[in-house]
Amino acid sequence: MRTRSDTRRVVLRRAAQIPFVLLVVSVLVFWLVAVVPGNPGRNALSQYASAAQVAAWNASHGLDGSTLHRYFSWLGDFVSGHWGTSVMLDTPVLGLVLGRLVNSLLLGLLAFVLMTPIAVAVGFYQAHRAGRPSDRALTIAAVSLSSMPEFVVGVGLIIIFSVTIRWFPVHSEIVGGTSWSERLRVMVLPAITVGAASAGYVARMVRAGVIETLASASYRTAVLKGLPRGRILLRHVARNSLLPTVAVLGTQLAAMLGGVVVVETLFNYPGIGQLILDAVLKKDIFVLEAATLVIAIVSIVVLLATDLGYLALDPRVRLRAEPA
Amino acid sequence: MSSTAAEGTLPLPADGSARSRVSSDGALLDLRAVPPARHAWRTLLRRPTFLVGAGFVVFWVAAAVLWKPLGFDPLGPTGLPLEGPSGAHPFGTDNLGRDMFARVLAGAQPTLEVAPLATLVATAFGTALGLVAGYFRGVVDDVLMRSFDVLYAFPQIISVLLVASAFGHSLLTLVIAIAIFFTPIIARTVRSAVLVETNHQYVEAARLQGERPTWILAREILPNILPVVVVEATIRLAYAIFVSAGLSFLGLGAQPPSPDWGLVVSQNRIFVQNAWWCAAFPALGIATLVVSVNLIADNLRDVTSR
Repeated sequence: MRTRSDTRRVVLRRAAQIPFVLLVVSVLVFWLVAVVPGNPGRNALSQYASAAQVAAWNASHGLDGSTLHRYFSWLGDFVSGHWGTSVMLDTPVLGLVLGRLVNSLLLGLLAFVLMTPIAVAVGFYQAHRAGRPSDRALTIAAVSLSSMPEFVVGVGLIIIFSVTIRWFPVHSEIVGGTSWSERLRVMVLPAITVGAASAGYVARMVRAGVIETLASASYRTAVLKGLPRGRILLRHVARNSLLPTVAVLGTQLAAMLGGVVVVETLFNYPGIGQLILDAVLKKDIFVLEAATLVIAIVSIVVLLATDLGYLALDPRVRLRAEPA
Repeated sequence: MSSTAAEGTLPLPADGSARSRVSSDGALLDLRAVPPARHAWRTLLRRPTFLVGAGFVVFWVAAAVLWKPLGFDPLGPTGLPLEGPSGAHPFGTDNLGRDMFARVLAGAQPTLEVAPLATLVATAFGTALGLVAGYFRGVVDDVLMRSFDVLYAFPQIISVLLVASAFGHSLLTLVIAIAIFFTPIIARTVRSAVLVETNHQYVEAARLQGERPTWILAREILPNILPVVVVEATIRLAYAIFVSAGLSFLGLGAQPPSPDWGLVVSQNRIFVQNAWWCAAFPALGIATLVVSVNLIADNLRDVTSR
């Protein structure tokens, strides 16, 4: 039996680990972005700059001195909000990264809103038809959807909805003055693409949860008591079988953050994923450092929030359910 | 959530559910039982999704190996630019007049070099690490589990993207990057399987006989967790294809004029309004391969799990 204080201890230990995990992540990011590729000034100024120019560039960007010194001054700057200036866009990194993050989160949110009801409905339907041909066909469809790379799904959607029946634009163009309705229209296809993989996975989890509940004694009792079908579905089946789904939704939200790199590139959507790829290709280390660290922070927070939410909903659960 | 139904997988056929498996501690030896490996094969070969998946995988492996001997030319122009599918060019041509059918067949090669190689390396290291961590616990175990926490802070594709960008864009970097990030994941699965096995009496017996730990790990425990390793490796293979295709799409894997599927989709997506075929067929190549590997993994898991 797990007691309340026991559970609280596990969550506290989890939360206490976060600073250490972030520290290690920051070392890795710094090493991969600012140390391994070699002299940042040389990379930024190309091979034609003189050694003096490179040294001056490094000094003006605070990149001279030992690696250790550079790491700590970068970390200090990051924590205090001094994220530097983007080399490729000549704007402050802080506003750039956070603005793009908001765009990505909006995309993720829309994906979530579109995907969850469909996935839950499909999972329910499958559970009621478990073992029949329609269930098997949907399972195969779900496996396929959740295993295909995002750009494959995206290209398929573009060919069907943008090229053949012309419902949505092929390329999204979002600038400051874009209206919200236009924005939404632009976001639908990318959002479906981002959500498709998760939808397949969530549908499988819902199906499993519902099948388990349908086999339980409480369900049989409810049926034998002669309760109305709708009430059984809501009060008995949905409540019991959607709990595991909550946990999955959180991990899927974190996974979506990875998916956005590919989807935003495919649809030319100005989110943090596209920014990361641009920064990689143009060797903009300040943007790359900040953006990757922000992604790490967001996914850690989302995963912890999922654990807490799950815990709040069902105190019986053992923490650290196996991630997929 | 350990039953077959709870995993959300296909229901077993009636004969598959009555599996006569020799229990791992040897206590329930059923003399009439078919050897488990052969039995698993027989069950697998009766499953349509496994057969379809295996069929596609065999087809793409054959394409990757045979496109050159069969004389397909994925690099030279053999037609007019952006010709639609026809008898001469079943998948049409791209903007440079290259035959898309040849490019799609040849495109199987880079994918089937990177993903299996990365999976093989990760499985070898991951299994060794998992065995040691699960058996000895202690420092190795702690380091493994903490590195897993760190790994989970990042979406996989971004980690691999960072490594690939730091060490240069090439297929070899891609292999190493994917292998590095898959090793702890495999190690974790192996570790939990080892933890279960060490509770069995045969391990205790071997220990009391004075067997060396390396012997116990390699000759006693490893054969018993082999099904777990095989299933995990197959799942990782699917993910490796997924990640490497994504990286190639982003321009961080194969470089032009390679017919790599991800790269080709990325390059041809600007023509999609007038020439859907030059992005659709390579995308279909990835889709069939990755879904097939997943179907195989699903069936393997069903058949080998008790």
